[in-house]
Amino acid sequence: MTAVAIVAPVRRRLTGRAAVGAGILAVLVVLAVLAPVIAPHDPNAIDPSRVLAGPDASHPFGSDALGRDVFSRVLFAYRVSLGVAVGSVLVAMAVGVPLGLLAGFYGGALDSLIMRPVDLLLALPALLLALSLITIIGPGSGVVLFAIAVIYLPILARVVRGSVLGVVGEAYVIGARARGVSPFGCMVRHVLPNSLGPAVVQASVLMGFAIQIEAALSFLGLGVQPPTPSLGLMLADGYQVLQQAPWADIFPGLAIAIAVLGFVLVGDGLRAHFDPHGVSR
Amino acid sequence: MTAPLLALDGVSVDYGLVSAVSDVSLEVSEGEIFGLVGESGCGKTTLALAVMGLLPRSAQVRGRIGFQGDDLLTLTEAGRRRLRGDRISMVFQDPEAALDPAFAVGEQVAETIRAHRPVSGREARKRATQLLTEVGIPAAAERYGDPPHRLSGGMQQRVVIATALANEPALLVADEPTTALDVTIQAQILALIRELRDRHRTTVILIAHDLGVVAQLCDRAGVLYAGQLVEVAPVERIFDAPEHPYTKALLAALPTRATGRGALPVAGGGVPDLADPPPGCRFAPRCPVRMDACERVPAFTSRAAGHATACWHVEAERAA
Repeated sequence: MTAVAIVAPVRRRLTGRAAVGAGILAVLVVLAVLAPVIAPHDPNAIDPSRVLAGPDASHPFGSDALGRDVFSRVLFAYRVSLGVAVGSVLVAMAVGVPLGLLAGFYGGALDSLIMRPVDLLLALPALLLALSLITIIGPGSGVVLFAIAVIYLPILARVVRGSVLGVVGEAYVIGARARGVSPFGCMVRHVLPNSLGPAVVQASVLMGFAIQIEAALSFLGLGVQPPTPSLGLMLADGYQVLQQAPWADIFPGLAIAIAVLGFVLVGDGLRAHFDPHGVSR
Repeated sequence: MTAPLLALDGVSVDYGLVSAVSDVSLEVSEGEIFGLVGESGCGKTTLALAVMGLLPRSAQVRGRIGFQGDDLLTLTEAGRRRLRGDRISMVFQDPEAALDPAFAVGEQVAETIRAHRPVSGREARKRATQLLTEVGIPAAAERYGDPPHRLSGGMQQRVVIATALANEPALLVADEPTTALDVTIQAQILALIRELRDRHRTTVILIAHDLGVVAQLCDRAGVLYAGQLVEVAPVERIFDAPEHPYTKALLAALPTRATGRGALPVAGGGVPDLADPPPGCRFAPRCPVRMDACERVPAFTSRAAGHATACWHVEAERAA
């Protein structure tokens, strides 16, 4: 059985802000993937002659305190940032969507069994949760990915449960039952595809925030470890020399802002897309 | 007379304190089209959902629903699911809502077949395409992959009927199948239902608030008022020789060309509160021929073959 699900609506062209967001993200992904080809310099190559040198033709974003090329480091840092952002949300969806679906569809005792621990997780401050996980497991980009996934899991489970509750009462779900489709079949083939929209919107916005969380944790020294380039680490390094070489901080900061903007614009566009009643602008 | 295909015996449905259907007994024989008439909220759909086994868990159902020798109310949920879409199927009021917007229409027919028959995907697809053709969808093979919103309301209802007929059910419950459609499309859908009954000998329970639809299509009809069945008769007799005061009031409210431009005739009073219904006949408070006996629930009496009415007044007339 193939659901025409998401295919049919998405065939409509993304317009306006969503198209801008998608364009930004596409460019960033290409830059990240092709970083080894595009980067003019080795991101970790130390050049004592260019310590805190300003932007010029061969180093468009200038150099940092160790003479490393900021542009090349931003490109490589995107690999970690985008990887963590997308990876953490995918992990959170892989666990959170089935949990929310089961809780919303079956209700009753199973709902409580699933949602009480989820609410517990939701009650903890996000950064505190991430910090404690990293304290337990140790720093690194894999741990950051996992920690962000744990923060996002209850959010996505709640969103999915909410839309499932709206969809289970729809006539077409009762109709599917009237045709003898098993409860599990109804849940997977009819309820799930029709409740994913809000979760997809949420996921895209959460990816943007994941970039910020990853940068924040790395800034604190709890995420990506040096010398691997990371936007958060670069902010931390550049922060020491902000007076003499603002470019060492401005460009990584801009890089974060642009990536977050891309994800949020796409989320905004998807929201308008999934909500036929809302006016998108 | 063969044994009835469907026999309701003292079926009541309560939603908490609200008595939606009260002590309904009726029999529907094989191959007939039985109309169930009544105004909104009188329990027509609740009765249909009780037969389907699709009432919400909060509903309490009592009585017996006999179908092909089984009492549906004693079956397990798995047993009832095996019947649904296979032996008993349903057509809904609003086809646009009844079809999954994210699912190709053909797939929804094929899904119904595969829920009950161990057939391959390709075979189910072939059969589903045949069914779409049979219910009058042009170029069915091309329409197969379309999402429901690409089809008009009439075509959507044809798809719903195709899903209902997918496994050649013995009983088809059609809950206001034409209410959401244009008048011209209504006639086509009604003709389709009759044609399918003639071809497959499917028994049909047609729920309608539109008496015209019942007159066109049904062999017999039952009139529901506030959850009580008040009259059952061959459809000509419902229109030509109605006995129950409610049936008479319902027919009197039908606008005709002679009605002119004035206010439409309406029965006086309002439908009783089903959380606290009148103790006996629920029509008694509005009834022009009310008697003291109406404090008690009237039994069905019959003055002509196949015509039964639950009314103390009718019974008193008959005795006199």
